[in-house]
Amino acid sequence: MNRRIFLRGVGGAALAVPLLSSLREKSASAEDSGPIKRSVIFHTHNGCLTNRWFPTVSNGALSTASFEGTTLAGLAPFAGKLLFPRGLKMFNSYAELQTVDPHDQAMGSKLTCATIEETGSRYASSHSMDHEIANQVNPGGASPLVLSVAGGAGSNIKDVLSFSGPYEAFPAQTSPQTVFNTFTNVLNSGGEMTAADYQLSRGKSIIDLVKGDLESYKRLNMSQTDQDKISDWLDLLRDVEKPIVNAASCNPSTAAALELDYYIAAAGTASGGGSSAFGGADVSETAFKYGASAMFRLMALAMMCDTNRSFIFTYPGYAIYKFLGHSHDHHGLSHRNGSFEVGGTCVNGVLDMIHEVDMFFAEKYVELVTLLDQFDEGTGKLLDNTATMWLPELADGNAHNTNNLPIVIAGSLGGYLKQGQSIDLEGNIDTGNSEASCSNGNSSVGFGTSSNRGRVPINKLLLTIMNGCGCTAPGGGPMMEWGQFDSASLSAGITKPGELSELRA
Amino acid sequence: MTLTTGTSRLIMLALLAAGCAPSAGPPDDEATTDGTSSTNTTGDDQIVDVDKDGIPDSEDDFIDLDGDGIDDRLQDKVIDNDGDGRPDCIPGVRATSQVPRLKNIEYDRTVRDLIGLSSLNGRPPSALLATDQEGSLTDLGWSSYLTVGEQIARQVMSDPAMRAKFLLCDPATANCIDDTITAFGRRAFRRPLKPEEVTLFKALATAHNTPNGTPEEIAELLLQGFLVSPSFLMRSEINEVPGANGQYVLSSHEIASRLSYMLWGSMPDTTLDEAADTGQLSTPAQILAQARRMVADDKARDMVAEFHRHYLHMGLNTRWDTFVKDPARFPHFNEGLRPMLSQETEMFFDAIVFGNGGFKDLFLSTQGYVNAETAALYGVDGTGLGTTLSARDLPGRPGFLTRLGFLSAFSQASRTSPILRGAYIVKDVLGTTLGTPPPGAEGTPLPESDDLLTNRARVDAQTSDASCKKCHNEHINPAGFLMEAFDTMGQPQTHEADTGAAIDSTATLLVDGTLTSMTGPSELMNLLATSSDAQYFYTQKWVSHAFNRDPNSQDACTVNLLAANLSTDGYTILNLIADITQADSFTVRTLETGAMP
Repeated sequence: MNRRIFLRGVGGAALAVPLLSSLREKSASAEDSGPIKRSVIFHTHNGCLTNRWFPTVSNGALSTASFEGTTLAGLAPFAGKLLFPRGLKMFNSYAELQTVDPHDQAMGSKLTCATIEETGSRYASSHSMDHEIANQVNPGGASPLVLSVAGGAGSNIKDVLSFSGPYEAFPAQTSPQTVFNTFTNVLNSGGEMTAADYQLSRGKSIIDLVKGDLESYKRLNMSQTDQDKISDWLDLLRDVEKPIVNAASCNPSTAAALELDYYIAAAGTASGGGSSAFGGADVSETAFKYGASAMFRLMALAMMCDTNRSFIFTYPGYAIYKFLGHSHDHHGLSHRNGSFEVGGTCVNGVLDMIHEVDMFFAEKYVELVTLLDQFDEGTGKLLDNTATMWLPELADGNAHNTNNLPIVIAGSLGGYLKQGQSIDLEGNIDTGNSEASCSNGNSSVGFGTSSNRGRVPINKLLLTIMNGCGCTAPGGGPMMEWGQFDSASLSAGITKPGELSELRA
Repeated sequence: MTLTTGTSRLIMLALLAAGCAPSAGPPDDEATTDGTSSTNTTGDDQIVDVDKDGIPDSEDDFIDLDGDGIDDRLQDKVIDNDGDGRPDCIPGVRATSQVPRLKNIEYDRTVRDLIGLSSLNGRPPSALLATDQEGSLTDLGWSSYLTVGEQIARQVMSDPAMRAKFLLCDPATANCIDDTITAFGRRAFRRPLKPEEVTLFKALATAHNTPNGTPEEIAELLLQGFLVSPSFLMRSEINEVPGANGQYVLSSHEIASRLSYMLWGSMPDTTLDEAADTGQLSTPAQILAQARRMVADDKARDMVAEFHRHYLHMGLNTRWDTFVKDPARFPHFNEGLRPMLSQETEMFFDAIVFGNGGFKDLFLSTQGYVNAETAALYGVDGTGLGTTLSARDLPGRPGFLTRLGFLSAFSQASRTSPILRGAYIVKDVLGTTLGTPPPGAEGTPLPESDDLLTNRARVDAQTSDASCKKCHNEHINPAGFLMEAFDTMGQPQTHEADTGAAIDSTATLLVDGTLTSMTGPSELMNLLATSSDAQYFYTQKWVSHAFNRDPNSQDACTVNLLAANLSTDGYTILNLIADITQADSFTVRTLETGAMP
């Protein structure tokens, strides 16, 4: 865990190390009285057909009927556990604060609300929300669990949503086996001396060896960054040495009930972001379907074992959905013309193809919500103690707009958030105009596919979730600011501090 | 409030530029430009005092032109005070981490060369490692090293050939474990172990740390210990012998490691190890001799291929990977062609580089690789060819830019894209830095009217607005128009398929500061082959790749020196790669004092 680099983060967040430690202790004692709360972000690229996506109620109570005929029809059974915060915008859309690339800005600024580096890596200039949560409330300060499937592990900004510090990308993990392997010791603790215990004692002797090696590095005259690398590694060893305290449900039979072996095997052998990852239809189909299922189950296991409270799952953005019968990649489809360029001629049937991808994403989101709703942890279902949020890169993929974002949150974050509501935060919100091009015989891609409404800064939503997870401001109390800007002006800084009280239960 | 360096200046430029398009559709940058707003011309950089504080930059310990309170050389990557589009040469050594971890691909190759293991259950070991990441190691990353180290150790002990690379003796015999610690440790750490490290490993390799205390178990534990040791997992440069100007001199073992990871992406071999052990890496000539030996080895091929994939923007999610063609016009297009054309292009670069070719051959050689399907597209005799690519001469196809791969990847489905092709040539070959396109630029529709009979005419009209002209008229469009002699599938064209109008592939392009009129691709290739800009930026990309850092003002001095060689007859690309090791910065390091983007 990269605490020190994290602390050099955004201007204004000049915390001191001892304070952070005391915050963590505070949150640890606070949680004795309530459920453990987690943030889960389900992220997809290239926008969607917004006018098919939103429920029919834009402000008010949701019912199963609110989802009829929409992309989210599969969520109808969960109507009472959903919250639609309507009218949110990530500032720093293209040609607003920066003019670099609409996708790079959306990825880099989404969870950081910070500018991106412009000429090289295009990484964000501050850490992202998932790391803030992990730093403040994760047991042992563990890193957030940022997951994807084969093809999603790239370190290119177009693949990176999570940043551990300024200009430090935190690419996704794509091998479910690698993630599962981290649970070996956790699941096998307790009981009589077994072969696994010998492994633990062998592990202890190895830890001593590694510690000795690292200590010799500590004595060297190195840069602060390098010293931090060594100290952070030593911290990891100390965390390993701590006794493992797990909930009763954290045991091998839970792993078995989650059918992890089956899903990990079914995910196939492709992993990483290598150029062969999309080599064939089978690879992307097994990885995109079963690989995601495996990662969802690993998130559930991490919740039950309380090894993590900050999660991201993201699909790669530039895949060709061959298993849906497509020959153009999703990004090209979102441009309606099948290519990297914008404008031009509509691909025949392009709206249906975009909708098919939207429906696939929706199906997987429903799968995640359903899974988390199956496990009761005494203080409610796993789902209830999370904010399981579908957060898109863009609203409409052709317009590349980041206002009026289609966002849904399942779970109340342990009673922190309203449920069963769509809440129009701005007033007079619409559903966008994604079918303005390439429909009714019009074969030319135009640019009127966006919505002009919905400009409430997303910073406030992120703050609400961070506070709900137990994060606090440097001086105590709820966090009031997140990021560098919340309007189209960088110099104005944060103009609308505080969370979204409208969303609070 | 922290502002990214340079942000305000770039935003100002973008705001000043008038919208190019009638509508406000936002562009993606893939098609055109990024970067700052100067145009490259030739010119020699001189050592200067950029902040005019009276202290020469080479001795100045604080330069902060943008007033952000951070030394420009740390946060800003490039000082270009003379605005020539090339970083000014500021003598010195770029600070980088002393303890970078092996990348996953390096881990795989190192394990392969150390103990002969290249797969676990049919997959490379790194398939079970965490994703490559700079910065501090994460809990997941650490856990994955432990797991993979354990699995490798188990497999090595059960495989006689691998085991023999680890253990030179029977672990049950006296001193075998101790000898292994010394001998294997030397290879695993890429340097001799220090006495205290030997003590640590002896403490590990004891009976009570294993279930039954057998010699076999002890040996396996020892191997596992090496594989998770920071000194194995990090390419450490920790020698603290001071050199000039506050720099530190690398040890011969550290130089050996730099050589092998730069040229092979793996650990040193026996020859290099011996050279390091016997102090034979202390002069530039000794280092060069090793480098020349190493670039001729097959292990350098992967590294060279990796570089050129980067040079060509080839790989997952790129145009090369996703381009499509209109089936009505190009019925012979199929998705299987895409990987074939990438492979053909890679084989071309491999043949030029390892056939001792020079820079100009990349643009002029007609050596090609075809199979039955692509031979037909090239119009060459495909008799006897199957699906495998075979060497053939391709008359009229000088260099990689006139081949099917580049031409079809940098095109649209049903028409060529002079903008995509031109932007690649101008930005990535000639290194011209162009301003960010104004908002909405790429939303500019391609005009369709009866008097616009060619794609060229349509693109000209599309970019005729004053705010587009500067970049498009002088740079992007002419470079693309010269390539109009090839259609969107990369086949020769003399007339537009839709209107029958004659193709015009003449244009005047600014190269090396001179406007030059040309009649088509062949003349352009001749010019690029000898262009000092093209040579400079190819060299810059190599230096950046070799040192694994973005172009910067310290490395600019090395680039200046090396680029000058590329126009010399007989100077090969392998010479260039080997000569990177002759940079002053190759044998010393300096302390990193701040975070860099």
